[in-house]
Amino acid sequence: MATVTKLDNGLKVILKQIPGATAVSVWIGYHIGSRNERPGMTGSTHWVEHMLFKGGGKLKKGDIDLLIGRLGGKLNAFTDTDFTAYFETVPADAIDTALFIEAERMRNAAFEQKEFESERTVVISEREGAENMPEFVAEEELWSNAFHIHPYHWLPIGWKQDLQRLDRDTMYRHYLRYYAPNNVAMVVVGGFDEAATMEKIRARFGGFKPEQPPEPMNLKEPPQMGERRSVIRKPGSLDHIFAGWHIPEFSHDDTPKLAMLSAVLAGWRGYHPFAAIGWQPRSNRLYKALVEAKLAIDVTCRAEVKIDPGLLVSHVAVRSGVPPEKAERVLFNEIEKIKQKPPSKVELDVARTQIHAWSGFENDGVTYQGMITTFFEMAGGFEKYDHTISAVDRVTAKDIQDVARKYLTENNRTVVHFLAEEVKA
Amino acid sequence: MSLQPQRIVLDNGIAVLYHPMPANPFVAFHGCLWAGAASEDKRGVAEFTARLLLGGTKTRKSSKLAEDIERLGATLEFRNAEEAVHFGGKCPRETAPKVFGIMVDCLSNPSFPQSEVEKEHGEILDEIKMDMDDTARRAAKELMASLYPNHLYGKDPRGEVTDVKRIKRSDLVSHHKASYGPKGMIVVMSGDVDRELVEKKISPVLSKFEGEGERPKLPIPAPAKKVTKTVPMPHKTQADIAVGLRAIPRNHKDFHALNMANLLFGRIGMYGRLGKNLRDTQGLAYYSFSTLDPRLVAGHWAIAMGVNPENLQKAVDGIRLEMDRLHKEPLTDQEISDGKDNQIGSLKVSLERNVEMAGEMFRMEYFGLGLDYLKRFPEMIRSLTVEQIHEAAEKYIRIEDCSLAVAGPVGRYQEKKLQLS
Repeated sequence: MATVTKLDNGLKVILKQIPGATAVSVWIGYHIGSRNERPGMTGSTHWVEHMLFKGGGKLKKGDIDLLIGRLGGKLNAFTDTDFTAYFETVPADAIDTALFIEAERMRNAAFEQKEFESERTVVISEREGAENMPEFVAEEELWSNAFHIHPYHWLPIGWKQDLQRLDRDTMYRHYLRYYAPNNVAMVVVGGFDEAATMEKIRARFGGFKPEQPPEPMNLKEPPQMGERRSVIRKPGSLDHIFAGWHIPEFSHDDTPKLAMLSAVLAGWRGYHPFAAIGWQPRSNRLYKALVEAKLAIDVTCRAEVKIDPGLLVSHVAVRSGVPPEKAERVLFNEIEKIKQKPPSKVELDVARTQIHAWSGFENDGVTYQGMITTFFEMAGGFEKYDHTISAVDRVTAKDIQDVARKYLTENNRTVVHFLAEEVKA
Repeated sequence: MSLQPQRIVLDNGIAVLYHPMPANPFVAFHGCLWAGAASEDKRGVAEFTARLLLGGTKTRKSSKLAEDIERLGATLEFRNAEEAVHFGGKCPRETAPKVFGIMVDCLSNPSFPQSEVEKEHGEILDEIKMDMDDTARRAAKELMASLYPNHLYGKDPRGEVTDVKRIKRSDLVSHHKASYGPKGMIVVMSGDVDRELVEKKISPVLSKFEGEGERPKLPIPAPAKKVTKTVPMPHKTQADIAVGLRAIPRNHKDFHALNMANLLFGRIGMYGRLGKNLRDTQGLAYYSFSTLDPRLVAGHWAIAMGVNPENLQKAVDGIRLEMDRLHKEPLTDQEISDGKDNQIGSLKVSLERNVEMAGEMFRMEYFGLGLDYLKRFPEMIRSLTVEQIHEAAEKYIRIEDCSLAVAGPVGRYQEKKLQLS
């Protein structure tokens, strides 16, 4: 069970005690992601995240690594379309170190010009490493083609041209504007005393003044009026197909039905991206139709967790020698089949059982629990994660068909083919 | 929290280790048996066999197998490696005995249906193709080949394309018969486990596994062949650099000292001294870190880094400078003290997850470190002397012994221009 407290300055604190845990994970999620960016400043939110490892206030450059390193702790940060999150996992008796770092990070980051410039090439290097991967190139194309108005048009890493041009002052203003207590949820999970921890949090964060509430991001993607398609031809090893259908925001009532739909189609690998590395579910329709049938070597399907209406994305890594059109035809046939013929009882049982089991697997330990709680808090409320997991029990075969018919339509989809050209030596 | 797992050995030779972590209410398991690339007599057959364990058994087709596993709320995977075949998964406590029953069925009775053989055939070939188009994997492959010439550690455990094309169903049947058995097999479990579950419900299931396999005698690799190699991949945006040399096996007396030197050189915080220079100060790379990879009969130390091709020379110069500095400006007392605090503190933090605890128990058994290893660990680290760590860095991390491989849009960079030393 979690305890939720709101400080006077607007900072929301979510505490989840795990009796006996020897570690504690402190997460801070800011309601600022690439959806809050504007053309010309794409990638700035992610760049700010990098700058917040470079000291400021009572922290010299390198101190964050040093302080957490000496404790044998873990730390990292993530920038998403909808939020930016930072965490430290430390021995339970060292929670104050994590709180100290996050307090300094919230209001006192240095943003020195020299550091800003040296980070420019690091961020560009991160993007260039991703550009080496066909999956990144194709997925960037998918989102940019599926969203013409809404900022989901670009990925959190941003366009390279913007990364080459962005200046320090714009970024620093962005930081001051959004890194304020009233734009934050703090999540603490692990072994701690609740009252003492709240006291520490008030002492560290209670004095921070709130900023004006962030202006609402009102851009809405208009309904898609027909299929959108693009082709990328690049040297590579395999062809890839990405297909995305517009779906509603995570807090929508259809979310549990879409979770079940994607599980019946391609199996379940949990909500967060780290717990399922290497696991390939095989008792699902798309695996049987594409991988078992020797048309693909992998297929996935995921309903994205987003604040605003997002996408249900399916990815097919096409087997060598198979025309991508053929694999695509089979993919869309399977989508049509589920509209015509409801999933069987066994399919429903497998999907439900896997979703429930994965809610345990992806909450393994204090760090992952902190991650799940923060990610879902940022997407509309941490309690919605548990609601979604339990709501899948009430999803019927007809519900699955209904959401398939409603969202997985030709007019509502965007398709990208990455066609691998022969690599010239 | 007690850090000492329970261990039992079953009559068929399987060592079972378990450690309850009741706060994480599911079972994570991991293990291995001695049927990996070291046990094969035809290259690539171990990989093929391991992948087909989920391809169907005498009583279950592949689709039934998948359905049975997933209906139990479980995951189950098999993975071939150079020394052994590994397996692992997760499941709720209630279904754990049945999940292990399925695992034993997969290990004992694979049917190797021809259609699954053909499916896997294409998948392995495509995976090899994908790796050949991956700059980081391509650089690492070249490096490993130079560090372990003609040794299984230096080869892709999947085999090369020509090897995979030659493999037939009968090869898989033969390899399975000769190599799959319980003797020396390791199974570790963490999470929602206790004596009742492991000894009364799971062990009887594991005891049913029979077979011929034995632990292979691993050949000692010949000395490394120092090379500098560039792999042109002009269609890529970024180049990957792999630098490395032969180091020591896991049970070598210098392991902890060298591990500490490696931690401080290229791991702690944002990649240690290496990252501080190349990422933080020069802004050359998103990742630049070092790894110590100790195995049963040898080991190696390596640096991995991804850079814009324009910065290749700067990056190589930076690596050289930091490796030289390790000897000219040895790790300070303060750095070493920080490293010791890191390793000792990490016991509380790094074992917070079932999966991490299972991994640690597995290494304890696999390398014969002893059940009290985690208890002894803080004292082992505290007692390392500054001199031992300096000596390990001096002895093993030597630029003149390093190979260098670069894969990516290397353009005008030729091997001669990229000499490390």
